[in-house]
Amino acid sequence: MEKHAVQLRGSTADDSRLRAFFKVLSRQKMLMLMSLPFLAWVIVFKYVPLWGWTIAFQKYKLARDLFDQTWVGLDNFAFLFREEQFYLVLRNTLVMSSVNLVLGFVTAILLALLLNELRRVYFKRTVQTISYLPHFISWVVAANIVQTALAPEGIFNVLLLQLNIIDKPVLWLGVGEYFWGILGATEVWKNVGWNTIIYLAAITTIDPTQYEAAEIDGASRLQRMWHITLPGIKPVIVILLIMNLGHILESGFEPQYLLGNGMNVEYSENLDIFVLKYGIQMNNFGLATAAGMFKTVVSFIFLIVANNLAKRLGESRLY
Amino acid sequence: MRKKKWLNTSLAVITAVSLLLAGCSSNNNDGGSKTNTNANDSTDGNAVDNTDPVTFSYFGFGTNIDVMASETTIGKILQEQTGVDWKMEYVVGDPSTKAGVMIAGGEYPDVISPVGELSKLLNAGAYIPLNDLIEKHGPNIKRVYGEYMDKITHEDGNIYILPFTANVGGYLNDPDAGSNIWIQRRVLKEFGYPEVKTLDQYFDLIVKYQEKYPSVDGKETVGFVTFAGEQGQFYTITNAPMHLAGYPNDGNVLVDMETHEAKLYMATEHEKRWLKKLNEMNAKGLVDPETFTANGDQFKAKLTSGRVLGFVGYIWQMADAMNNLKTAGNDDLRYVSLPIVFDESITDAYMDPPSFVNNRGLGISVSAKDPVRIIKYWDNLLKEENQRLVQWGEEGVTYSVNEEGRFIMSAEQLANRNDNEFKRKYGWAYFDYEWPRYGDNSVYEDGNAHLPARQPEVANVNYTDGDRELLNAYGIETFSGFFAQPVERPWYPAWSIEKEQGSPEQIFNQKAGDLQQKFYPKLVFATEAQFESVWNDYLAEFGKLDAAGFEKFMTDKVKARIAGVW
Repeated sequence: MEKHAVQLRGSTADDSRLRAFFKVLSRQKMLMLMSLPFLAWVIVFKYVPLWGWTIAFQKYKLARDLFDQTWVGLDNFAFLFREEQFYLVLRNTLVMSSVNLVLGFVTAILLALLLNELRRVYFKRTVQTISYLPHFISWVVAANIVQTALAPEGIFNVLLLQLNIIDKPVLWLGVGEYFWGILGATEVWKNVGWNTIIYLAAITTIDPTQYEAAEIDGASRLQRMWHITLPGIKPVIVILLIMNLGHILESGFEPQYLLGNGMNVEYSENLDIFVLKYGIQMNNFGLATAAGMFKTVVSFIFLIVANNLAKRLGESRLY
Repeated sequence: MRKKKWLNTSLAVITAVSLLLAGCSSNNNDGGSKTNTNANDSTDGNAVDNTDPVTFSYFGFGTNIDVMASETTIGKILQEQTGVDWKMEYVVGDPSTKAGVMIAGGEYPDVISPVGELSKLLNAGAYIPLNDLIEKHGPNIKRVYGEYMDKITHEDGNIYILPFTANVGGYLNDPDAGSNIWIQRRVLKEFGYPEVKTLDQYFDLIVKYQEKYPSVDGKETVGFVTFAGEQGQFYTITNAPMHLAGYPNDGNVLVDMETHEAKLYMATEHEKRWLKKLNEMNAKGLVDPETFTANGDQFKAKLTSGRVLGFVGYIWQMADAMNNLKTAGNDDLRYVSLPIVFDESITDAYMDPPSFVNNRGLGISVSAKDPVRIIKYWDNLLKEENQRLVQWGEEGVTYSVNEEGRFIMSAEQLANRNDNEFKRKYGWAYFDYEWPRYGDNSVYEDGNAHLPARQPEVANVNYTDGDRELLNAYGIETFSGFFAQPVERPWYPAWSIEKEQGSPEQIFNQKAGDLQQKFYPKLVFATEAQFESVWNDYLAEFGKLDAAGFEKFMTDKVKARIAGVW
């Protein structure tokens, strides 16, 4: 970018500036071509559906034209923001996704660092495979495994009883306060291996000579991790953090839906389940869309704030 | 030049996108215009019946396994009569989402059994009116549904679906009716088959039994469970106060026999009494701690383990578990449901009064290729001989007729009739319910019952020695002997009153249900000292809902039904 900017500044007439632009364009023809399908994808799947936002201002009925719909102004938003339940599910959503965000980052980075230090390739591969596996299990199955393990006669209670940590079985999924912790742990179990991939990839780009130099200078293993590996993957961490903050209102749907029950509903019900119950299942698509719009706006704010923060701190960022 | 190319590309993308959009919307238009034309498709009603082979599509919002009708014995026989085969498909996953997708796509299967999605599909104009088709091609349809015409006619004067509950030729009660409160038979046996009528008596028996046998075969006995762990099954526990107060299943209201006022029983003394009792039982350690968290499989596993002494649940929620226990052969571990009410003075209403459920049925969609063929197939299906086929099967194969002309089944034939695998292969699993049909209480012209299970001769074959011992001990002939005879309730069942999508009534239902899900566990597991304060919290939350509006809506609908407007 810098180089092109210099070129452009060099030319005086509009015409020559344009010519320079097309010169660069033709040089990067292949790159342009390669990005074309993705551009089309973004337009078709991300921009075209924005039309659907009009639904938020209608009492929407399926299979009818735009002109046959009843327009209701901000009624759907009013319903949403007046609903007590909405604030409860908003709290749950924010807490659960923050828990997932923090736990997800810390555990994945930690595991990636540890894996990177392993010398024996077979052992490393085995650990990687085992930690990836749960990622590929469907949530329906995973939730059943968790339910069974946490049942009064499940392995978890049996173990804790044997170790004398508890004196009678605990109904883990029956205590609302435990739910966030259980969900966080389940997410870590399921996704930690998968999340390490990107960090491991980032680590491989670090110049090995840095490690050699550090070793000669007498840096210990921990010091090398702290002073070389972590700074080396910092840009990746920051970018991922910014992007994930953009998803702060997406705490997931399946695990909460499948692990939730009457006893933990005050803690397990999130925005997506609320939208399913009051929006989609009642054919109230206007409300569902309004909630979706709200989510998008909040995500947008988070994304911009995080990016500006990164900019101010002189870190790598999205734009 | 290059710039133009760039422009062209983006133009192409935009054109492609708009084509896509246009494609979607033109589909919708198709769906709309067909509504108007299809009913007039039937040009010549008197033509000779066409039996060219043809395959139509059937979609059910109930649970079943997909099949080609001709792969089943019954489907094959019907195909030979009419030339029509069916590709039968059933919903997988969330029905309301599926219905939404179907409507948004504007493409429907030929016929749809909507189960709970009727109002959605009607709203979208997915069904064609059947009035003219029935008039021209449906002599048998008219015979069966004739006296229910006003009940099957929608507010706009059209008939969209043919329900499953049109009783023909008399009214036969189920010989093996049940309630939703069950007790293990060994408990009754232990105490010499006592009379159990009230909720207190019922729980006293369980308390006494568990004191005597805290564990059986090394396994701890479980006093009491409910099937309330799954979100969709929560009504199991919320419906109980209605039955205990002596009312049949009208959903979430009690309808007064005199004034016909529909009153919610949520947050009333009835509900409090039920929850207070569960709370007491919990203090005694009798309520299974997993009662609000166990999923369906876990619940059924508990029942089949034989450790549970009592539970609440409707037979259709756990029939397979009951069947497994029967097959296992130990009658002591099986369960029996009893006519439990709050007080001796209350008459139970567990046996269903004659009822007509008009929001379940089968209808023809606007996408149907040949509605006339379909209506003729249905008409043929409603001939008495074919109704016999879909319930009893073929004479000499799946049932026999004795000298008095009564239909009977041998033990083996009956076992087949009840066996899930055999039912699929033979086709009962596909044809004995979600089609235009005689109602369950129907009687044939020759006096035989329409449902084999309602034929006393067959019910008798079904009983095990343990069943007979139990029935003898109580001096009754069949399990229905436990229950009071049903009383006529012309609006019954109130739960089938359709609530419009997104209407205040529907939102009330959802919110009230959410509230119950939140508070029931708290109330049951609270200490006895806390109970009152939790109950008051519950009342306060309930007070925020528009209960009066909902009750008015239901009362109006009930009164309209009594006046004959369904």
